[in-house]
Amino acid sequence: MEQILTAIIFIPFITALGASILRLSHTNLRSVSIASSLILFGLVLFLIQEYDPQGGMQFVRILPWIQNYGISYHLGVDTLSLVLLLLVSMLMPLLYLYMWHEHRKGYWYNMLLLQSGVTGAILALDLILFYLFWEMMLLPIFIMIGRYGNSNRQYNATKILLMTMLGSMSMLFSILYLGYTHFEVNGFWTYSIDKLSVINFSPSIAILVASGFLLAFAIKIPLVGFHTWMAPAYGSSPTPAVVILSAIMAKLGIYGIWRFGYTLFEETLVRYTDFIIILALVGLIYYAIIAITQASLRRMFAYASGSHLSLITLGLFFANIYSWSGSLYFIITHALSSAGIFLMIGLLYKRTQTININSLGGIASQAPLFALFFTFFALSTAGVPGTGGFVAELLIIIGAFKYNILIGIFTASTMLLAMLYIFWMLQRTLFGSISVATQGFKDLSKKEIVMLLPLLLLLLITGVAPSLFVPSLEPWITITLESINQNIGGL
Amino acid sequence: MSIILNQLYMILPMIIVLIGAFTLMILSQYKFFKLKQFNLVAVLFLTIALAIVLTQFGQIPKGYIFENTLGQVFIVDDFALLFDIMSITGVILTLLINTDYFKSRQYFNGEYFALLLFSLFGMILLSHAHELMTAFIGLEIASLSIYALVGYHKNNKVSSEAMMKYLVLGSITGAFFILGTALIYGAVGSTTLTNIAIYINEHDYDQLTLIIIGATLIMITILFKIGAVPFHGWVIDVYEGSPFPITMFMASTFKIAIFAIALRFYLLDFVPLHEILNPMLQFIAILTLLGGSWLAITQSSIKRMLAGSSIVHSGYMLIALTSIGTGSQIAVPAIMFYLIAYFLSAVGAFGILSYISASGIKQLTYEDFKGFSERRPYLAVFMSIFMLSLAGFPSTIGFLGKFYIFTAGVESEHFLLVGLGIITAFISIYYYFKLIAMMYFYPNNEKQQPIRYTFSSALIVLMAILIIWGGIGTSLIPFIPSADALIDIAKGAINSIG
Repeated sequence: MEQILTAIIFIPFITALGASILRLSHTNLRSVSIASSLILFGLVLFLIQEYDPQGGMQFVRILPWIQNYGISYHLGVDTLSLVLLLLVSMLMPLLYLYMWHEHRKGYWYNMLLLQSGVTGAILALDLILFYLFWEMMLLPIFIMIGRYGNSNRQYNATKILLMTMLGSMSMLFSILYLGYTHFEVNGFWTYSIDKLSVINFSPSIAILVASGFLLAFAIKIPLVGFHTWMAPAYGSSPTPAVVILSAIMAKLGIYGIWRFGYTLFEETLVRYTDFIIILALVGLIYYAIIAITQASLRRMFAYASGSHLSLITLGLFFANIYSWSGSLYFIITHALSSAGIFLMIGLLYKRTQTININSLGGIASQAPLFALFFTFFALSTAGVPGTGGFVAELLIIIGAFKYNILIGIFTASTMLLAMLYIFWMLQRTLFGSISVATQGFKDLSKKEIVMLLPLLLLLLITGVAPSLFVPSLEPWITITLESINQNIGGL
Repeated sequence: MSIILNQLYMILPMIIVLIGAFTLMILSQYKFFKLKQFNLVAVLFLTIALAIVLTQFGQIPKGYIFENTLGQVFIVDDFALLFDIMSITGVILTLLINTDYFKSRQYFNGEYFALLLFSLFGMILLSHAHELMTAFIGLEIASLSIYALVGYHKNNKVSSEAMMKYLVLGSITGAFFILGTALIYGAVGSTTLTNIAIYINEHDYDQLTLIIIGATLIMITILFKIGAVPFHGWVIDVYEGSPFPITMFMASTFKIAIFAIALRFYLLDFVPLHEILNPMLQFIAILTLLGGSWLAITQSSIKRMLAGSSIVHSGYMLIALTSIGTGSQIAVPAIMFYLIAYFLSAVGAFGILSYISASGIKQLTYEDFKGFSERRPYLAVFMSIFMLSLAGFPSTIGFLGKFYIFTAGVESEHFLLVGLGIITAFISIYYYFKLIAMMYFYPNNEKQQPIRYTFSSALIVLMAILIIWGGIGTSLIPFIPSADALIDIAKGAINSIG
């Protein structure tokens, strides 16, 4: 019971290590990977069963790692991390199902390592430990894009590596400075965030320290201006990597701001909220407009994803109960819908060898089931009523109006713009005359339906009955918001 | 009698190394012996020496050898013994990891091992030296052997050119050391470190002009030897021209010995002078970081890239060196830890290069590594681990090394220097990951090569395991030192300097 979080992090890693030492064949590797992901999913469900929504940080595990500098192996779970944990552990089996016929073993190893890295970053409460996992999860992505990707993959892999590393390095500097300041003030070293959160900086230094972290998170999300890696990387990633990139890793940027930003330097964030809101708002609209102009499906949904992540960031920075509920809810539903749509694009590519919108068309008449699923996932990313995205966007927009009416109007425009690019894309892709590429388009197979159905059902349930989920998210949001409001006092 | 025996016991490792060197020299006259046997004999002597040092470490009190006759010339303390352990281990590993390479080249013979042991003898003398002339003699013994070793492939023009370059430049900078010693002697009237320290502490800055100039001149020699910019002109060509084992030896082991004497000077004598020396050192650290990065980025051969990056790594250690005595607790242990971290990673990386080139390829450029992961999947994984460690990627020992170095800088409030260090670490991502990209991202054009299980490959695996363990090792497993332990050992050793 005590070791459950450790087990959740390291089971994939140990699976990968064991499989590589035993030199398993790719079918055996597939079996153990799927088994490990299912075991993890079971463990996470068990964790949710035991979790108390009112209880703050739970299952905390602290072991000394580097004692001289107070670096510890510090793990814990609260609602925010549990949500992300559930998403990762749920998506992984589906991705393995997608990779069923993949015979390149490196692919499987990288996915296993990726899961370990991402889970670790979600659960770590020690800054150095977090940094370790934060970097660890980049490596498999780098290899997957560069090795198994397409179109200019080497260049794009290096680009995402360097840009993300730039963020990490600036974060490392801030982390070191935080640790040192804590040592100066309190006389002992520590990198645990609960202890570091007591430090008060003068505003001029606080903004520097905070921007070290924010740069890392802004590149990861990516906010506008830090996004040049996004479209190329999404464009040339293999499908499982792109699902992880958009559904999980981008969310980790948000998670970082939420977890570290709002504990370590909430004052600074509140002071500079307006700037970040403007940045995110520009991103929201800019990405949506760019998405309209894209010819490649991957790139289009990359920008769509960027636009929605800007929306989540906005919700985060409005910092009221509606917008936070909306953001947290959107993290879930966006992960589901973007996973769904990117998997569909992957299936499309397998069938037609192209994801260029202009060379597609007439799919609906040949593969009605495919068209149905595709339409559903595409619409759910846009937040159509009846899907989970709608509830989340609505909550964020209410929060935006509560914050400022003008900003509320701009925020609401996202729904309109999203409809624009989604419907136009659907029209050109699914309908019209059958093109060369879409001739003999096969409908979904049973395995593919099994893979997509859970996502579809969850999106429907989250959309139709949000009251099943939102109440269990709320206690954490209320507690966190209250403590932030107390800390920033008069601001 | 027992006193003499006791004194001899204290310097026994050094004597064994020297005897080993002479034995090898004599044996090398006989055609009867094969290269493998020479290698074995050398390793045998070194292992005995290492075993003795390990029993001595932490057990024998600090003392000077034959103090009545020689004065305080040769010190035995934990600090020196720790550096002995590091450099002897270094030579052993260098010898063992290159067994395949030796076999593949005709020009290696018995004298080669003798020279390597002479060089090690000089390095041990250097780390035990407590007096400037002794230090100089140690330094020159070590260097002279290396000059010869660099040009060992005497039919190769590049190798001979490298030797000439290194010999001429090295001798000139050696002269700086002598001049510095003379100036210090002129002021103090003694060359032992104890007397110099007393003199510096008793006088004000305006009376220390000669000492400061002398100290600066000595620092120049040291900076030259570790390849700091602007004394770096030799590094790339010499590293490139040398046989792989020597490149490996210079990059890792020799640097350890140089830092042994640099740290001793700094801790004993130069701390009161840090206000004057530190700005110079910081300036050089900045130049070294930037210049080294520039050199490393622009190379297309892996060996030259590693040479350039070794300059950058010296730059990191200079950051910690300037932090000594300015409020940092960790600066000296950080350097020692970094030396070990760099040693493991560099020996691993050079080890793989020499392992590959043992089977034919002469030039190893980035291009040659295309598709390497398909030809040699396991070696590719280990090469990646070494590159990650050199780049300071977390979960490897290289990250902890950088962490300690940067913490030392932050503790002394050298924020800009640390910032620059982090930026160069970021730049280094490019040239290290370029190799990983080459290995994994390009299809294989050459035929698959069978896996050979040799001693060298086993050692490469060992290096990789040590690197990972050094980066994440926990204290949960009893009897195996954790990531913490090395720093604790280093701290204990530094206390012995007093």
